[in-house]
Amino acid sequence: MDIIENSPILEVRNLKKNYDKLSVLKDISFSAYAGSVISFIGSSGSGKSTLLRCCNLLEIPQAGEIIFKGEAVSWTNKTDSRQLSDKKQIIKFRTNLSMVFQSFNLWSHLSILDNVIEAPVTVLRKDRHIMRDVAYSLLEKVGIADKADAWPAQLSGGQQQRAAIARALAMEPDALLFDEPTSALDPELEQEVVKVIKDLASEGRTMLLVTHDMQLARDLSDRVYFLHQGIVEEEGHPDSLFGKPKSNRLKQFLSAAAS
Amino acid sequence: MFNVCADPSTLTEFFWVICYLTTAKHFAFYVSFFVVLVLLAIAAPLSLLFGFIATIGTRSSNWFIQIFSKSYINMVRGIPDVVFFLFVPLALDQFFELIRHKIICFDVVEPIWQGTDFVVCKAAKLPLSTADLWVHQLYAFTLALIAFAIVFGAFAGNVLSGAMRSVSKTQTETGAAFGFTQKQIFWRILVPQMWIYAIPGLSNLWMLLIKATPLLFLLGVEDIVYWARELGGSKTSMYAYPHPDWRVYYFAGLLVFYLLMTWASSKVLKRLQIKLSKGQATMAGKELQGY
Ligand SMILES: Nc1ncnc2c1ncn2[C@@H]1O[C@H](COP(=O)(O)OP(=O)(O)OP(=O)(O)O)[C@@H](O)[C@H]1O
Ligand SMILES: [Mg+2]
Repeated sequence: MDIIENSPILEVRNLKKNYDKLSVLKDISFSAYAGSVISFIGSSGSGKSTLLRCCNLLEIPQAGEIIFKGEAVSWTNKTDSRQLSDKKQIIKFRTNLSMVFQSFNLWSHLSILDNVIEAPVTVLRKDRHIMRDVAYSLLEKVGIADKADAWPAQLSGGQQQRAAIARALAMEPDALLFDEPTSALDPELEQEVVKVIKDLASEGRTMLLVTHDMQLARDLSDRVYFLHQGIVEEEGHPDSLFGKPKSNRLKQFLSAAAS
Repeated sequence: MFNVCADPSTLTEFFWVICYLTTAKHFAFYVSFFVVLVLLAIAAPLSLLFGFIATIGTRSSNWFIQIFSKSYINMVRGIPDVVFFLFVPLALDQFFELIRHKIICFDVVEPIWQGTDFVVCKAAKLPLSTADLWVHQLYAFTLALIAFAIVFGAFAGNVLSGAMRSVSKTQTETGAAFGFTQKQIFWRILVPQMWIYAIPGLSNLWMLLIKATPLLFLLGVEDIVYWARELGGSKTSMYAYPHPDWRVYYFAGLLVFYLLMTWASSKVLKRLQIKLSKGQATMAGKELQGY
């Protein structure tokens, strides 16, 4: 896929994150260019979710930079335990980088339609009536328009995840952050979500994708990062990364994933 | 009431009962049921409001508000209700009178505390001794109402803050991930989702509130207990309607009243719970998968 612009939508430099003494991310850097799909793979506990959560500022990394469209996150200048210092900036980052969670996290007190409408109306101050139409067409796009008035708990996992994708799209974000969107799903439900994600990729959406699904990473990605023990152990184009893995760690990981 | 009732001693049994049950005092008895219902109708929402405000207070970043709210919620748990009910109206009454005394009778030199007696000037008395009986009754009722709201507000605060803690963190965090501010998370996610967890506790409180209403009697309000005792007690031939001790029947009547109240309440509350839990069926399941 062509890289449309040469300045990245999201850039992460030398990110470090630890929980007390546990060092989860040691030194992570990557860039996500507009229209590209970047995948992160790695064994459980390698810090993939933590990395995505840092991008969305749900976690505060102890060191390193996060740069959205050329704008770096501003920190309080305390070096030992820095905090986010600009509330407007936090909202800007979060509204432009929409998360899709492993366990869907639809708001249980709202109907499917209201789940899609909620954030644009509350955060972006969009008009509720206009958003209704937008939400309907998004639900149509992910194939669950007939479930608009249902409650989240009445939907299958695959339907819930598709609703969650519609909710993320309703923000008109610059990039979508997927955290293992299919790993809570049964194999037969997985495919309906995979199809939606593939459609989004072919529309040229910028996506960060954390996944256990090697086939999906291979099919969609422009670049794949293999995380191991808090660092990027290997990165590259999916063909070379999956076709000719260099490091032993990655070889082991891929053969374990294949079996 | 009716003309036929003019001389009860001449009445047949049937008319005697009719006339007996329609005396002015019996009407006061019937009205006192409304007093109880009015108390419930005002005390319940007021307690909920107090509890809700206290719950917000416990999450305040202001140190003083937080400590105050937390101690309010926890204080009443350690104090027997009855003690509190006796204390609050008395304390409020003296507090109001003290303030009025300072304003109205600023020229009075005698101390307010004379030994152990609390003495304010006549003009500062609440209500004024010249006031109508109903003013006295309304005042006593209002003080009792405030006492109920304070005590049950603290219980409600306890239930509500527990319910708020029960809302899954993934739900609020998802709000944050979409750019909600803390305030928006609170009002748009936490508050709408807490009710489902609060309803069992609040239902319980409502039942306790119903059962606590006879405390009105203790606070000098002429409530149903007062009238049941008053009317049921044996009446000598000095009275128009002499009868032996019928208190057991009157109290049986109260029993039926309270049973009906709690029965109807449990029906309504159950419906409410069903309505609220719509769509939340897999909440527990979601919790397990937690992010
Ligand atoms: N809030 C937290 N407090 C303490 N430790 C945490 C916290 N969140 C994550 N961790 C730890 O950080 C490490 C990385 O977690 P993370 O969820 O990022 O891994 P992951 O690569 O997403 O794993 P999985 O594939 O299982 O989702 C794990 O060891 C985890 O236990
Ligand atoms: Mg994860």
